[in-house]
Amino acid sequence: MRFLGIDVGSLSCDAALLDERGELLAATVVPTGARNREAIARAKDEVLRAAGVSAEDVTAVVSTGYGRDRVEGRRAAVTEITCHARGIQALLPGTRLLVDIGGQDSKAVRFDAQGGVADFAMNDKCAAGTGRFLEAMARALEVDVSALGELDRDGSDGATLSSMCTVFAESEVVSLIADGVAVGAIVRGLHRAIASRTLAMIKRIVPDPSGLPVAMSGGVAHNAGVVRALSAALGCEVRVPPRPDIVGAFGAALIARERFG
Amino acid sequence: MIGEYFSGLAHDIEGKLAAEPGAASARKIFALEVARLGVRLYSPGRPVAWCGVLAPFDLLNAVGVTSCFAEFVGAMLAGMGAASAPLEGAEQAGYAADTCAYHRAVVGAAMQGMMPVPDFLVATTTPCTGGLAAIENLARLFRRDLLVLQIPRAETEAGVRFLAGQLERLARFAAGRAGAQLDPQCVAAAVDLSNVTRALMVEIYDLARRVPSPVSNRDLANFGIVVPLLMGTQAGVDVARATRDELAARARDGKSGVPGERFRLLWVQNRIQFPNPLLRLLEDEYRAVIVVDELNDVTWEPIDPADPFPGMARRAIGLPLNGPAERRVARLRQLATEYRVDGIIQPCHWGCRQGTGIRGLVQRGFQELGIPVLNLEVDCIDARSFSEGQLRTRLEAFLELIAGRPRVRA
Repeated sequence: MRFLGIDVGSLSCDAALLDERGELLAATVVPTGARNREAIARAKDEVLRAAGVSAEDVTAVVSTGYGRDRVEGRRAAVTEITCHARGIQALLPGTRLLVDIGGQDSKAVRFDAQGGVADFAMNDKCAAGTGRFLEAMARALEVDVSALGELDRDGSDGATLSSMCTVFAESEVVSLIADGVAVGAIVRGLHRAIASRTLAMIKRIVPDPSGLPVAMSGGVAHNAGVVRALSAALGCEVRVPPRPDIVGAFGAALIARERFG
Repeated sequence: MIGEYFSGLAHDIEGKLAAEPGAASARKIFALEVARLGVRLYSPGRPVAWCGVLAPFDLLNAVGVTSCFAEFVGAMLAGMGAASAPLEGAEQAGYAADTCAYHRAVVGAAMQGMMPVPDFLVATTTPCTGGLAAIENLARLFRRDLLVLQIPRAETEAGVRFLAGQLERLARFAAGRAGAQLDPQCVAAAVDLSNVTRALMVEIYDLARRVPSPVSNRDLANFGIVVPLLMGTQAGVDVARATRDELAARARDGKSGVPGERFRLLWVQNRIQFPNPLLRLLEDEYRAVIVVDELNDVTWEPIDPADPFPGMARRAIGLPLNGPAERRVARLRQLATEYRVDGIIQPCHWGCRQGTGIRGLVQRGFQELGIPVLNLEVDCIDARSFSEGQLRTRLEAFLELIAGRPRVRA
């Protein structure tokens, strides 16, 4: 028996395939692009090919993410809150607070002592501080988004950014470059601003997060600078699983196994 | 446009009811009476007053003045999918886009000639200052007299006397505008009808409390906020009686409003007024039912027909939305317990300082009871800001959360 989880996000479409014991056989991340049905098919093909499994061998598919209703053949569609929660509890058991920052939204999930979702909060009204925001800032800085984490190490004194609106922040970044502020300092300032905004969201569900086992998932968790800034803001270590961008798909596959295995 | 809409709606429903009298659902009767009220508002020759939400509509009905709270127009426009033009009109005239869209829509509608010119206006100082400002704007636009009811924040004997005196002066003023003297017998008759409607509303909400509840997500939408417009009239009694009878029949037959009721929810403050798929999602995919709205509540005692003004004053002052947040939170907690709800949906209507200002206190109040709360960032009137996918994800995640935790129903 094989179980497939597909997470259709705004920036990427992720798939994870499990065997009957819940072991990860293969996972992939592909850009969602403008046509998410094509991205879904591609992610599914890639993961099946990597595991050497045919589509007929898949017992159940559970979808998640904003495009979860676009996945044909799904047995269930489950929100990304529940899937990320299920995934992180399998990868980093004992987590009491999860921060997930994806392409266009961010969320904080508080767990009870048994690992069940006790409460959650999501970003409101706009996508400031998410993957799209960082992409826009990287473009303004003329660097690759994947380089931001490393550039952050050079910014000993982070610059101060006053706006988190993507449009205004981009203008501010351009002005800072023109003023001769080091790229590393600007990047560190951006990461601090994201951490500050994320902390405000976290405090809506956990007034005092200090001392809690915290984990981070989502594509932005690849950015070590954001993780460091968030650790500093929270005053504790933020753990990141080996492949933070597939946590939602992995959780969806685990749910498929539990419900339909 | 709005007047024609009401005329068409009333005509359609009357035609359907004439063709098939047995098919008159309570909701249809409710819609018919609301449409007839709309027709009266938009018909020339009748005295009309635009009001704040806490105006004494039974008193105004008693003296022959057709009256309505201004926010009703914003809600109607949103329900018709026609709020964008007045909202844009108000914004182009300088009203900030982050103010309450109920008020922006009504000011825009007035500026664009979509509202009948009233004979006078009655503002109330509570529950929100935005509403007071909107009525003041309307008074200036229409160049009509404005009466402001100063509603005390606490129910003291002095406060009740203070407001009762204002209400009596309002009654004499309104009767004069309708071309008559204030007739205590007419007021007493209207109060009698109000008391009957009130008693029926108590029965309706008692029925809604049952497990499973006989109400669906639409049965009582906007009920408690709109029925006061019909207070003091036979129409109000008819609507409330039809609703009570329909829910009582369902309860007697063991039918729930949402088949297979799974989750019971409390909705804080106003519903989303423009067409959207969220209520259908709640019912069809999660068997979740809004068993109680905060505004579907009876928080006043029957009024003495022989001495109506103190009772009307107590009714306005005692509304939980008036006064300190502590009182409102306490009432919300009581409703959650009485209706045995599994979760709270708190739509934080953009621009509503009244609602969003205390959302943290409301949330903590429920959390102390162990009841989860979903804060929905949404504009209940302005569909231009509506993102279905985002709201859907939050709602679904909330219901998944409730499903995964032990029941804490009282």
